[in-house]
Amino acid sequence: MAAGKGNKKRSAAHRDAEAKTAAAKSSSTGDEFPTAMGSIDVSSESEYASDADSDSDLIEGSEQNFEDVLKAMAADQGFEVGGSSSGEDDEEEGEEGSDGEESDIHSSDIDGASSEGEEADSEDAEGSDSDGEGDGGLLRRTGSRSTDGQATAVDSDSDGAASDTSQINDDDMRKLTIRDFGADLASWKAYRQTLPQIDAGYASDSSTEDTPNTIGNVPIAWYEDYPHIGYTVDGQRVMRPATGDELDKFLENMDNPDVFRTARDEANQRDVTVSAEEIDIIRRIQGGDIPDAAYDAYAPTVEWFTSQTMKTPVTGAPLTKRGFVPSKWEHKRVMQIVRAIRSGAITAPPARDQQQQPRLYDVWEHAEAEPGERRGRPRMVAPRLALPTHEESYHPPEEYLPTAEQRAEWEATDAEDRRRAFLPQDFGALRNVPGYERFVDERFGRCLDLYLAPRMLRKKSALNADELMPRLPDPRDLRPFPAAEALAYVGHSGRVRSISVDPTGLWLLSGSDDGSVRLWEVVTGRCARVWTLGGTVHAVAWCPNADVCVFAAAVGSRVVVVVPPELCDGQRRTVSEDLVRAGFASAAAEDAAAADDSLPVSWDVPPTAEQTAGVHVSIAMHRTVKALAWHRRGDYLATLTAEEGGGAVLMHQLSKHKSQRPFRSLKGAVQSIRFHPTRPWFLVATQRYVRIYNLMQQALVKTLQPGVKWISSVDVHPQGDNVVVGSYDKKLSWFDLDLSVKPYRSIRYHRQAIRQVCFSRKFPLFATASDDGSIQVYHGMVYQDLNQNPLIVPLKILRGHEIRNSLGVLDCVFHPIQPWLLSSGADGTIRLWT
Amino acid sequence: MGRLKKKFSEGASKTYTTRNRALKKLQVNLADFRRLCILKGIYPVEPRSRKKANRGSTELTTFYYTKDIQLLLSEPLINKFREHKVFLRRLKNALGKQDITRAKTLEDNRPQYTLDHLVIERYPTFVEALRDLDDALCMVFLFATMPVVGSVDGKIIEECQRLSSEFMHYVIYSHSLRKVFLSIKGIYYQADIQGQPITWIVPYQFNQRIPKEVDFQVMGTFLEFYRTLLGFVNYRLYTTSNLSYPPKVDKNMQDSAAGLGSLRIKSKDFENLIKNVAADADNAIEVDQDNEEETTTEVTPEMKKRMNTLNTKIQSIVAATEPSSNSPSYSAVGPSADADDDDMMKPENMLFGKQVFFLSREVPRYSLEFVVRAFGGRLGWSSSSGGGSPYEENDSSITIQIADRPSQGHQFLNRVYVQPQWVYDCINARRLLDTDDYLVGQPLPAHLSPFVEYAEGDYIPEAAVKMAAAAGFEGEVTNLQPEDRDQNSDDEEDQNGESDDEEGDLEDESADEEEEVSDEEENAAIRAEKQYQQQLLAERAGLTFSEYQQKHGNKGNATTAAKKQKGATNKRSKAEMDEEERERIAISMLSKKKRKVVNRTKADAYKRAKDANVLKARKAEIDNAKKKKQRQ
Repeated sequence: MAAGKGNKKRSAAHRDAEAKTAAAKSSSTGDEFPTAMGSIDVSSESEYASDADSDSDLIEGSEQNFEDVLKAMAADQGFEVGGSSSGEDDEEEGEEGSDGEESDIHSSDIDGASSEGEEADSEDAEGSDSDGEGDGGLLRRTGSRSTDGQATAVDSDSDGAASDTSQINDDDMRKLTIRDFGADLASWKAYRQTLPQIDAGYASDSSTEDTPNTIGNVPIAWYEDYPHIGYTVDGQRVMRPATGDELDKFLENMDNPDVFRTARDEANQRDVTVSAEEIDIIRRIQGGDIPDAAYDAYAPTVEWFTSQTMKTPVTGAPLTKRGFVPSKWEHKRVMQIVRAIRSGAITAPPARDQQQQPRLYDVWEHAEAEPGERRGRPRMVAPRLALPTHEESYHPPEEYLPTAEQRAEWEATDAEDRRRAFLPQDFGALRNVPGYERFVDERFGRCLDLYLAPRMLRKKSALNADELMPRLPDPRDLRPFPAAEALAYVGHSGRVRSISVDPTGLWLLSGSDDGSVRLWEVVTGRCARVWTLGGTVHAVAWCPNADVCVFAAAVGSRVVVVVPPELCDGQRRTVSEDLVRAGFASAAAEDAAAADDSLPVSWDVPPTAEQTAGVHVSIAMHRTVKALAWHRRGDYLATLTAEEGGGAVLMHQLSKHKSQRPFRSLKGAVQSIRFHPTRPWFLVATQRYVRIYNLMQQALVKTLQPGVKWISSVDVHPQGDNVVVGSYDKKLSWFDLDLSVKPYRSIRYHRQAIRQVCFSRKFPLFATASDDGSIQVYHGMVYQDLNQNPLIVPLKILRGHEIRNSLGVLDCVFHPIQPWLLSSGADGTIRLWT
Repeated sequence: MGRLKKKFSEGASKTYTTRNRALKKLQVNLADFRRLCILKGIYPVEPRSRKKANRGSTELTTFYYTKDIQLLLSEPLINKFREHKVFLRRLKNALGKQDITRAKTLEDNRPQYTLDHLVIERYPTFVEALRDLDDALCMVFLFATMPVVGSVDGKIIEECQRLSSEFMHYVIYSHSLRKVFLSIKGIYYQADIQGQPITWIVPYQFNQRIPKEVDFQVMGTFLEFYRTLLGFVNYRLYTTSNLSYPPKVDKNMQDSAAGLGSLRIKSKDFENLIKNVAADADNAIEVDQDNEEETTTEVTPEMKKRMNTLNTKIQSIVAATEPSSNSPSYSAVGPSADADDDDMMKPENMLFGKQVFFLSREVPRYSLEFVVRAFGGRLGWSSSSGGGSPYEENDSSITIQIADRPSQGHQFLNRVYVQPQWVYDCINARRLLDTDDYLVGQPLPAHLSPFVEYAEGDYIPEAAVKMAAAAGFEGEVTNLQPEDRDQNSDDEEDQNGESDDEEGDLEDESADEEEEVSDEEENAAIRAEKQYQQQLLAERAGLTFSEYQQKHGNKGNATTAAKKQKGATNKRSKAEMDEEERERIAISMLSKKKRKVVNRTKADAYKRAKDANVLKARKAEIDNAKKKKQRQ
């Protein structure tokens, strides 16, 4: 039955293809058709073979005859074949006669038409014979095929016994089959629609084409000059058909109604007219349809084999026993389940509604009774949502409602950047309040926050700002300190770079960019004396020795040592002058002894004009002198020149007029120098560090690291254990030398660079001068008890200096006796703060 | 030299793990991991240094505590999820093969899981659960108002409705509601349960707009846990209050949309009593039956008698415990059994104890019923807004009718018609407010949030000041004092306006000022401040303010006074500057860390002051405009 099913499912196209091959065979070997048909079938279709045999008596050689025979046979069986089934076919047959064309020519016509591709005239009533013939062919083939199948079916139905018996003689068989054939046809009629007869035209197949000319695929132009156009199979010339001239052709074309579907067959030098039928086929092919107009692609399926159970099975295999006996394994499995049910291993599932009941109980009962230790770190509880403010009210106070601008601004900002997700609105009454559109959104956002947002415990300082503020003593309790401007010393025309107060506290020296050094009376502000020394005065410094009255000034690249004649008289003056001049004798002697003096320093006697002004010694150097520092005894003077390396710092001994270079090399650009007030130490501030050297042992004691970018100034507390460092990056660092090389306290108040820092020698005060034009005064108490840290209290900010060219206060210095501060600025003034 | 330490085996890289590593370790997919995290309450953390935590990589990842992930590893839910996945696969296969019986069996044996252990794990004590109840309540209340159609299962919504109404019943029973706020988003409630403030928001009952980007899988998972949690919390709350749980649902009432009334809250004692009585009855019947077997006819009258007495007994018990069927169901219960009943019966918690309310049909019953009953009020409602109302509109005992309509047509004379805001404002003010401002058809006073706590320098709206003044609570007013003081001084300014020259001058100025108040705003403040100072001085001198002013004002004429004023402002500004400088100096002494803190607080204060100033200016503007209108 499987084979039958397969056959049933065969597609119509497949059947068609089969039919074509079969028909092709029949057309090529017309005479042998019956035998050929017989030879197609295998022994299982013996009936068919015999059927064909029975027909073979009636059939004669030609195709035409065969058709007639078939017709006759069909008529015999009460069955209409081909044209007789429909009136249209009848007509066609009638025309077939009148047309009178020979089949071979016709087939070649089709060939020619295939190249034409013209539109067929639908009104062309001329039914082509090829149509009828073609259909007839198809019918015949399919008919015979179906007969074959049907025969089997019918046979198996009706005469099971006959087919069972294998030995049947030919006569019996013939009788049987003919009778069956009649029954077959009747049933076959029920299945199949009658189709018109088709001639085995298959003329489109060029392999079967009857071509008289055998020259093959050769350009016909080669035969242009000959009377013939090629050769037949027998080698006879095929003569060129007579052709008229162009006029004839034209006239003929004018007369010929078929000119639009006439094409020239160059190979055979003749005109070919395409029939309407052929044009139809061409059009169908072009349209992608099935070429055969009569073919029904959606015909109901033909059951080639019957679906009814046959009395005799296709296979003869006997039924097995296992088909009747119940399965042992199934039985075993069932018993297993039964046993399980009996033993209670399998029970009926609980009723559904019982499952649905939520079982609630007091979960916390036991846990709270005996709290176990908690595992892991404590949970970070997500912060609660912020509680609503007045803004969120449905009827808020009027001032909470947004103005037009606020509304516009809110609408213009991105939804993510808005401070709040809603605009306050006043609905007036509860009945006017609509649903909130973003409610689900906000809940969802909260959900996302809860499981997606990373949490972090941030320790919030419990102290508020007031508690954090340092408990500073009241500045009023720390008096005295300079608090207000008392006096301004006006006279300089340039920046006052440096000032210095003499040890008695009566006189003030100032050196300025205008090239002058001025001597002022501190208390009155009177200018006592002006020295014009021809060059920028970078630094002035009184000699700290109170016995003498000497100061040094750095003017350009030289240092002058001056004994101001106005200030001292008698004994003090002679002592001073002796001290200053004593060196010339010894220096001259030593100069002779040590000719190798490589230092770029020369101790000179200044010109007489200067000598009368009190200038007694001039120390000339190669570079500009930037800073001066006296040793506390007043014999040594250190100078800092604008020079790289060890040569920048030089020591000068005043009593012997001797200079020496304490450092062979120094790292970094030196910013400031200072003698230690109590120990034989010397401080050198480079750009980043402050180095402290022991001059006696010639060793580095300490390197202070203020952690700033650029140090500007340094000063040492009079007791010697503390150092303050000011920097151009606005920071003040206080060092306790006993504690660490890192600052004990860093203070940043100034808005601009710190230029100078200074300690008061007498009071626990220090001050910073900055480019922002302010001076900050601090209380800096150092206790005798080493365990107590120094107390630093900012006391006062002094403002008064003007800022010129972004320079403010350049120097500041405390009065040696009074709690006064003196400062000099870029505005050319010096101010006294008391 | 010891052994070389393996890299990333300790420190931050061990403490933290990335999400991908966690997924790999747990062998679950991202969706399951998400569900696990939500259910277990595991959250991502922010390590101090992302680079150290992620083995030197700085790419953006989510970090979890490794310990948390280890905890997940032993979570029974993971296996349940896997089982469920297998189940789904089997079911799909069965359905694909059209094996309906197998599919049915599978469906019947659908793997189930509970989240009980998670509740106890996340909240080892009940108080902790209460503390974290806000989100759970918000979610459950939201889903209780969701439509059944759509992406949420109807059963879940039903459960949410049940849970929420159970919770509300508890709040009503325990009178623990404290604050209510009508916001534009919904209605905020705050209850105080066992000392924990619990805040939740309920949307107005409209159809919720559900945006596309909302993932209901995530919300559903949250809801799953919250439902379990709230169920247990409700159980605990009910049982500790000696109520029987779950409360019975009155089917008839539910069908008539009675809302809160559809749940019958019963005391446990009452239930037990009923049970005992029923058991007695059974016994009696059994005994009777025994007797019957012995002597069939004789004891029948006795039995009947007994039965009758039993019935009457039960009825009498019911009647005793439930005085009137009309009254809310658990007024029968009486919170007398409870330990903290004095808290419950505090007068401010029984604010509406003597009031009888009636709700017009246009007011939101779902909120008002809850709120009024939570504060001890009795209420009825019109039948069009649901069944179960204990009395009709024409009941003579009604004292307050809540209506929300432009004008009330027919009015009963013996009751007050107020707008719903009155109820909420009363609750927030903790006393019965005057109904005059809230009468139907009148413009309402502003509704303020009860959750705002005023810090120094904050703007305090006029309504709050008035409210506090009216309440006369000392504790409340302390915060308001700065604003209050200004008010007083303003008043005095008005009173003393004509009394002397200086004030006259001031008045003139203020007359000018009215055109350009916004500019003069600051000056006015300064002046007020100055006046206050003067008042203080006068007080110190033992004079009345006007006397003091005359004394000092007569010294010079108006110009000198003005000059003086100017000088004063200058001086003041200088003093201010000094103060500022001192502060700056002090800040310069701080370490960097502390300086940051101080600067931040200062910035905050500045911002707050700025906000307050904006509001103040706006208020002044509005007042000015109003005045102008009045004048015209």
